[in-house]
Amino acid sequence: MVADGAGKQRTRPEWLQQYELVGKIGEGTYGLVYLAKSKEPAHRGTKIAIKKFKQSKEGDGVSPTAIREIMLLRECIHENIVKLVNVHINHGDMSLYLAFDYAEHDLYEIIRHHREKISCNINAYTVKSLLWQILNGLNYLHNNWIIHRDLKPSNILVMGEGEEQGVVKIGDFGLARIFQAPLRPLSENGVVVTIWYRAPELLLGSKHYTSAVDMWAVGCIFAELLTLKPLFQGIEDKSSPNPFQLDQLDKIFKVLGNPNADKWPTLTTLPHWQSNRQQIQSRKYENPGLYSIVQLPPKSPGFDLLSRMLEYDPVKRITAAQALDHEYFRNDPIPGRNSLVPANAADKVIPYPQRPVDYSTDFDGTTAPPPPQMPNSSNMSNQLHQSMNVGMQQQQQHRVQNPNNLGVNQPVAMHGMNSGSSMYVQRGNAAALQQQQQQQQQQQQQQQQQGMRRKEQTNMGYPGHYQPPNKSRRM
Amino acid sequence: MAANFWASSHCKKLLDQDEVSKVAQADLERGFTPEDVKLMKIQFSSYIKSIGSNAKVRQRVVATAIAYFRRIYTRKSFSEFDPRLVAPTCLYLASKAEESTVQAKLLVFYTKKVRPTFTSLFPSTDDKAYRYDIKDILEMEMRLLEALDYYLVIYHPYRPLVQLLQDGNNTDMTAFTWSLVNDTYRTDLILMYPPFMIALACIYIASVLKEKDTRAWFEELRVDMNVIKNIAMEILDFYDNYRQIPEERIAAAVSKLLTRM
Repeated sequence: MVADGAGKQRTRPEWLQQYELVGKIGEGTYGLVYLAKSKEPAHRGTKIAIKKFKQSKEGDGVSPTAIREIMLLRECIHENIVKLVNVHINHGDMSLYLAFDYAEHDLYEIIRHHREKISCNINAYTVKSLLWQILNGLNYLHNNWIIHRDLKPSNILVMGEGEEQGVVKIGDFGLARIFQAPLRPLSENGVVVTIWYRAPELLLGSKHYTSAVDMWAVGCIFAELLTLKPLFQGIEDKSSPNPFQLDQLDKIFKVLGNPNADKWPTLTTLPHWQSNRQQIQSRKYENPGLYSIVQLPPKSPGFDLLSRMLEYDPVKRITAAQALDHEYFRNDPIPGRNSLVPANAADKVIPYPQRPVDYSTDFDGTTAPPPPQMPNSSNMSNQLHQSMNVGMQQQQQHRVQNPNNLGVNQPVAMHGMNSGSSMYVQRGNAAALQQQQQQQQQQQQQQQQQGMRRKEQTNMGYPGHYQPPNKSRRM
Repeated sequence: MAANFWASSHCKKLLDQDEVSKVAQADLERGFTPEDVKLMKIQFSSYIKSIGSNAKVRQRVVATAIAYFRRIYTRKSFSEFDPRLVAPTCLYLASKAEESTVQAKLLVFYTKKVRPTFTSLFPSTDDKAYRYDIKDILEMEMRLLEALDYYLVIYHPYRPLVQLLQDGNNTDMTAFTWSLVNDTYRTDLILMYPPFMIALACIYIASVLKEKDTRAWFEELRVDMNVIKNIAMEILDFYDNYRQIPEERIAAAVSKLLTRM
């Protein structure tokens, strides 16, 4: 299946025949993600997300990330956990494909849609239903001794139209681990959790962390569902492999007040608390302002639940099981299975946009049909960049030529690709986003800037090719 | 599920005696007898353990690797999947699954290092098995993932063993029962019984040999003592008949791999 240069027909492995490729929906450090449709009679037309793992360059076979994800998801059967429907191996180029049930939405896109497109809050029923289902999936994981370790809005998928509409699926288990009996301390395999959702004990260098780190992330997501803005937008320090993230902690302290050993007894034993004492404690924040940020009355059940998720001491932090039992979920509106459509449907149903698809990319990451003189390069990213540039200029043309999208939905414009979701797409880093937001403030009229989130976008340096996202987006 | 044995794929895929000792058609055609297959599995379990000790991986990684190896040969033949490549590759895959990856090049190195102590597995220096390299391991890794149907979580008796010994105040038998559990991987027991039952059988054997009265404790557990005794018989059969296997018997079995068909 490798692009083999000019002339020769590329052959498809047999298993691929059971899918009809629609296009590329994302990419990350691990590889690419495609949207496909099943051709099997029993599931004809069912949408499938196919995640392709590249062979690692170091000559060390299947990446441990892929192994972790396969191993855990093969065992996980739960309505609120993304379903791994198939695994395929292409022996020719030693690549690995994971096929998942496709989810049309994710919280990153839903929140962004509310913030940037329709400028209104997410209704209370939807917030509560989403939160309940996240907790329900997480409770299943934690009961089975799995810590997700990378919860963030883009990893919380939401099913689109169909029997499972509005059902939450926790996705991306590339960092998840069984914590029952780790052979090595959990902190050993690198820093985990995107910095904005990272629990304070991790920021302070805790070596032995627990499922409570996931609950902190859920707290951050809950607040973000309410306000449409990340709660703690620290700027990530990337100066060394595992630096002390002072700014992120500062953002947390500013909202929740400084932690102290009375409320969090093991605080003083944490490495970074010891070694950065002066830096951390120089600024004092006395008046915690969480309720004013999330605009909930301090005595409401919703606020109570949120503050228990954002409890400093991981031992005291609310667990998923306790949270599911919280008064907040027993009050009106009662959470439901279809988080997007309330049972009484009094609220208007919001038509969230579909995930953008790049119809010009084939399964091997090259443009289809291949240009006459395709360089026989093993450098995937070069080919990809090339194909993306080509795609941007000539998408119209390719759409017609590409035999893979016969009979699929009207493609959305190319810009959409740049805001794809991140179970599927690796998002730009925090600092870059921060920068972009500053830019945005300076250029508020130029709304189209807001779509520029992807690294490729900023790195490519072809702002002229960038089209405003407004028109062709399906609303 | 990953940490609840009863909901796990491991539990759902437990096999019975006939299923684990069935000889693949391709191997029958080469003249492999059930006894040959049993001896080879024992010898290759030692081989995996030996490579693992050299690579300094934990016992659990070795145990997972042996479980993979044994599970693969309930589905595949020695003829189709050369056990001399499958064995180190199982260790490679297990090291990733148990979060303590050993580099493929190191495995190749240790495989070569322990080869002189397993001469019966490598009868001829002209054999391809002498030249297996990183590339072969990486290709086999993918074939093994397929052969295992991507089910990688394996439960072991070690953790329940520790808990059960504590529960019965029998922690003085820890070292002895632990080594009994290690030796259960010379059998197919891990594919056939829940790990805690294997742990209990080891405690049962230890209490008989060490003359400790654990009868009241076993009664309270309300487990099926017939199953425990069957497992214990299987372990004792290993000690009686397979602890020391004559080199020539292994060599005779392995030579069937080289038969031209």
